Amino acid sequence: MKNQQLTATKFFNKVTSHYKIILTLSIVIMLAVSLFIPKMTKDTSYDAFLPKDDPILVFRNQTKETFGLKDPMVIAIVNEQGIFNKKTLQLVHELSDRLKTIPGIDPDEITSLSTENNIVGTDAGLEVDPFFEIDELTDKKALEVKAAINDFELYQGNLVSNDHTTTLVVAEMLDSYDKKQHEVYKSLMALLDTYKSHDEQFYLAGEGAVSGYLIRYIDEDAMKTNPFAAVVISIILIFAYRRLRGVVLPNIMVLASVGIALGAMAAFGVDFFVITNGLPVVLIAIAVADGIHILGEYYETAAKHPEFTQKELVVETMIHMWRPITITSVTTVAGFLAIAASSYMPPMTYFGLFGALGVFAALVYAVFMIPSAMMFVKPQLSKAYKPNQKIDRFGKMMAFIGKLVVKYPKAIIAIAFIIIGFGINGASKLVINEDRIKNFQADEPIVKADALINKKTDGTSYLDILVETPEVEDIFDPENLYKMEALQTYVETLPHVKGSISIVDFLKKMNQSLNENNTEFYTIPDNRELIAQYFLLYSASGDPTDFDNYVDYDYRLANIRLKMDTSEYAFEKPVVDAVNTYLSQHFNNDTVKATTTGKVTVDAYWINRLGFNHFLGAGLALLVVLLFAALSFRSLWAGILTIIPVSISVLFIYTVMGILDIWLAIGTSMFAAIAIGIGVDFAVHTVDRLKFLLNEKGLPIKEAYNEFYKSAGRALLFNFLALALGFSVLMTSSVPPLSQFGFLVAVAVTVSFIGSLTLLPAIIYLAKPKFLTLTKK
Amino acid sequence: MKTKFIIGLLAIGLLFPINSIGQTLPSGQSIADKTHARNEGISMSRKLTMELKDKRGKVRVRETTSLRKYFGDEKRLAIFYLTPKSVMGTAFLTYDYPDASLDDDQWLYMPALRKTRRISAANRGDYFLGTDLTYEDIKLETRISRDDYNYKTIGKETIDGQECFVIEGIPKNNEIAKELGYSKAKLWVDATIWMLRKADSWDVAGNHLKTIEIKDIKKVQGIWTYHQIDVKNHKTSHETIFRIHDIDYQNEINDDAFTKEALVNGL
Repeated sequence: MKNQQLTATKFFNKVTSHYKIILTLSIVIMLAVSLFIPKMTKDTSYDAFLPKDDPILVFRNQTKETFGLKDPMVIAIVNEQGIFNKKTLQLVHELSDRLKTIPGIDPDEITSLSTENNIVGTDAGLEVDPFFEIDELTDKKALEVKAAINDFELYQGNLVSNDHTTTLVVAEMLDSYDKKQHEVYKSLMALLDTYKSHDEQFYLAGEGAVSGYLIRYIDEDAMKTNPFAAVVISIILIFAYRRLRGVVLPNIMVLASVGIALGAMAAFGVDFFVITNGLPVVLIAIAVADGIHILGEYYETAAKHPEFTQKELVVETMIHMWRPITITSVTTVAGFLAIAASSYMPPMTYFGLFGALGVFAALVYAVFMIPSAMMFVKPQLSKAYKPNQKIDRFGKMMAFIGKLVVKYPKAIIAIAFIIIGFGINGASKLVINEDRIKNFQADEPIVKADALINKKTDGTSYLDILVETPEVEDIFDPENLYKMEALQTYVETLPHVKGSISIVDFLKKMNQSLNENNTEFYTIPDNRELIAQYFLLYSASGDPTDFDNYVDYDYRLANIRLKMDTSEYAFEKPVVDAVNTYLSQHFNNDTVKATTTGKVTVDAYWINRLGFNHFLGAGLALLVVLLFAALSFRSLWAGILTIIPVSISVLFIYTVMGILDIWLAIGTSMFAAIAIGIGVDFAVHTVDRLKFLLNEKGLPIKEAYNEFYKSAGRALLFNFLALALGFSVLMTSSVPPLSQFGFLVAVAVTVSFIGSLTLLPAIIYLAKPKFLTLTKK
Repeated sequence: MKTKFIIGLLAIGLLFPINSIGQTLPSGQSIADKTHARNEGISMSRKLTMELKDKRGKVRVRETTSLRKYFGDEKRLAIFYLTPKSVMGTAFLTYDYPDASLDDDQWLYMPALRKTRRISAANRGDYFLGTDLTYEDIKLETRISRDDYNYKTIGKETIDGQECFVIEGIPKNNEIAKELGYSKAKLWVDATIWMLRKADSWDVAGNHLKTIEIKDIKKVQGIWTYHQIDVKNHKTSHETIFRIHDIDYQNEINDDAFTKEALVNGL
């Protein structure tokens, strides 16, 4: 111990002697790394939640590639009087045409009533013609289009709502506009704005639109929450020390922590994901804590030793503080790394890794930059710490809590047991769920558009089923087509599945058309050659690429696309499970195989892992923190004591989530590991300080407690306020998952703080662990 | 008599460009007229293989026997599918009328149905049987339109070692452009034999749409004949290769081969 202190003295003497160069380096490094930030790209797609080489994602991307499927922008045109009139159809045509000129939109991949073909049987043959030609469009022709749609099951609910008040214009984006969906979204909204004066209403949703909207949305959110967090933290600092340097120095640390974490992300080419938006605020709240403790110690020392030079003051402060801030930073790093290690999802892995880097940067700046910067100024006293050893009202408040603990230790422990009981019950009832549209507040236009399209049409969520046959043209085998038809009939009975489309539907329509439009012939022809010849006949008047989305070029693979009216995991997962069960029981055999894929399948797969990842991350964080605390205090008992408050705080949150019906989702699932990494700091400081007061100073227990509460307790109070209020700032975020995450961590930190200052001392008071020297006097 | 006239015309054609080196280039319209004056024989039979390739490189191969005969200015074309097996015996017949206001007549015989189906009149810009050529392209083959474009001769270039006039065509009006699906065409016409060797076209929105290359041109029974056409659609990355062999101009094909009944009976 003595040796250690000697080394620390030497070390901080060196730091304070070279303060100019250290401060310069600190600022240069911070600026240099931060310069990368503008290079950052955003990825708001759901695919980002799986590693690029994940087999499920790879398979999905192959299927997308094979059938040319893309994330669409879906425009709904609503006319409550019905869309089958000249004016509305003219609009559909005009919009479909103008979309082709929007940068980022693939002009050949626009689907609407004006681009799609009708298949009609004539007395002698088959006609594949547009539903209407714009030059010949009249109200009478519009009614013919209506009749044609009524006769074309495939497009009902898909292109036109069943009540005929809504029709869709679906535009696919060029691959080159990946991560620039917000630009396309903006252009589309501007285009739709020009139609404001019409009777029709326009809505824009779909996967592409959601991604685009989200990019802009999180940008605006970050512009709001980050400065707000900085302001809140500064106000706390003003209250704590009432000194300019007490506000400026911790703020520089915050800038360093956030700047280096985000700058490094950009430099390594890591995308900014939706949850990354929470990282700056989290780092602001955490990074400021070290500064609070160092300055607290500084002003206390300055009050006690008015004779000290600035160098002596700074060195003395750092000798006392380097250990606790290192321990707390390392435990917080451990919490972040536990997220990185336990999560399979890249955005969370990166959140953990770069969060850890940010916290580590804060520690390095606390050890090097703060002492160096302090050397530039003269010794100073804070009004909060008076030389005559009088304590302010915050100190008094904490001292009062200390008295309560000594008086009612058993009651405190009893309350803890009650919380544990509720918490375990809550944990067993956690609801794992996720819905991308819930990233937005309910009154956002995109949420309304999504709800409308889901209500009026077959929906915006896709589940694709890839059918594979062994040989070229085996899709023409009627046996295979019957199987696909039966599969479609089955899936359409599943809840929230509103419709399905495959090559079977087109084929049945062709068969009907070629048999005098007799509805009895809306069936699959029982002849492989005939089916092949139908497709040849179709090619005589249709486009060569018409069926690209449904069948591959060799007629060996087919795609069945199911549409669901919800993007909520809780509804998607049962459908995927049911389809998979059906496929293995009734569809797959030695030659023909079908596999579920598409957005819905991918979602069901990765969200399913959230629960496991959550408990793994929390367990890992607890374990690392336990080991580290046990090692630093050289006592397993001390380690166990340290993790008691955070464990209770996490259990408490499960109860809160149950009561408030908060899902364990992407954002919220990270709360536990973070809450453990941060929350344990209070317990670490408590044990560290009590150990110092009892073992080194040899104070009797009650005196030691009194000393602990009024000084360390006070610093912990401000540390807690900074963290809790910092995370509360996230609650003002317009991104609900982030705001829930902020809320949960803030509550958890509160519980940890209370636990560390009541339960922990109460247990020590009663149990008298051996690692502490307890004298009765 | 007619043959002599054509030879004479060819001779003039042969001389004309040589004389004009360094002088004025022939007008596009006159080049268009010359492509129509070329001898294509009266009737022709050939094996035609269509290789269709999608952007992922998957290929559909269709082998056919194709018959063509001029009935005056009216052109009749019959295509009998030999492979793949699933469409064997399927036969396609089209009558191209010289009068543009008359819709062409088309039929498809489907052996699995044992019926001949009439196909609705295709627009000139519609794709021909799943290939990258449109009905209009098929109708013109190696000639260029006399009526649809305003031409401008922009120079001379060499293709496959042969001197070609390069001309640019803009559809005479929007109506025609929409019908054809082209807003501009750039054409390379052989300056000696007046055969189209290459064509680039742009869609109505001005995007580069297609490149057509007519290759392996040699005389068969005294008539200049191409043996391969490559078409690449730049927008969809879809490609078509037409390969032609066993060409015969001499055995005159009976008029009855170009009837609905003949489709049913096959070859």
